[in-house]
Amino acid sequence: MQYAKKLLDEVGIDSRRVEMFNMGASDAQKFTGAADEMTERARELGPNPIRAKKRES
Amino acid sequence: MIVADRKPFDDIKAMLEGFEKILIVGCGECVSVCMVGGEKEVEILASQLRMAAGKEGKKIEIGEITLERQCDREYLELLKDRINNYDVVVSMACGAGVQFLAEMYDHKIVLPATNTRFIGVTEGEGVWAERCRACSDCVLAETGGICPVTICAKGLLNGPCGGTNDGKCEVDKNKDCAWTLIYNRLDKLGRLDSIREIFPAKRYSVQTRPGRRIHEAFKEKE
Amino acid sequence: MNEFEPKVVAFCCQYCAYSAADLAGSMRLQYSPNVRIVKLMCTGKVDVIHLLKAFEGGADAVFVAG
Repeated sequence: MQYAKKLLDEVGIDSRRVEMFNMGASDAQKFTGAADEMTERARELGPNPIRAKKRES
Repeated sequence: MIVADRKPFDDIKAMLEGFEKILIVGCGECVSVCMVGGEKEVEILASQLRMAAGKEGKKIEIGEITLERQCDREYLELLKDRINNYDVVVSMACGAGVQFLAEMYDHKIVLPATNTRFIGVTEGEGVWAERCRACSDCVLAETGGICPVTICAKGLLNGPCGGTNDGKCEVDKNKDCAWTLIYNRLDKLGRLDSIREIFPAKRYSVQTRPGRRIHEAFKEKE
Repeated sequence: MNEFEPKVVAFCCQYCAYSAADLAGSMRLQYSPNVRIVKLMCTGKVDVIHLLKAFEGGADAVFVAG
């Protein structure tokens, strides 16, 4: 995960966009928490700069 | 094996500024093992470059190929049909591979994506350490299999020096004193006598650069 | 584009996170509809290249759950 974050940072993609979560099969709340957390982060950080450029052109 | 590091991404990106068709060539030997220039690393670099270009709205085309190795003509030859479709070639091999590739395709711009570091071993998962300086005059028989040329910060053949400090080196407290290691190893092997032997001055004359070697069986042909 | 709706990719282990997501459904738990799940036999299979490819493909956030 650290490696992935470094690789993304090098390219200029905020590494907060990627994360790892551990959970068990019965941890439904943990899953929804992770899903909401990452969606929230993406909202804060805005669109992936690659996607934004693609849409412009 | 030869151990290398990948160049920082920004350096690679700067080298490739202005090129649109890029061929990334990995090497399946040493650099694959030390995780800098094998098939997987080729994929990662290609992905990073595509993302960086996409971010700036640039269009680039990247080819990916990993050869068995880049230090043999037979394998480099496999590039000949593909190489002309690209403006530039990025080699992820060690310095030898990059040069041989550039020599064989001397009409192409060949750029290195790695910094070659040393001849070494895998100490643990993801950890590599230097073990040989390729000095052309091996002394390991007398030093219990520990190379003072490589491990001793001063490369002393007759050690330890006055800077040995509880088994550590005065140059760097975190590094072992090569000659303490040698003493302990020889002691273990019951060969401590050989530490009394004084080495004459090192034969640097055998270290001709660039090194070249021809096998006996092939000397006639040369 | 008026409203930005992020695309989130979730790499899920079939046995833990995917079951958890499944359970979230059975429990009628509300969660972000932006998440696209990629089910894997085991998240041990996830490699950095998969994460990078997801971003290359335009994902706004990616997470691995296992």
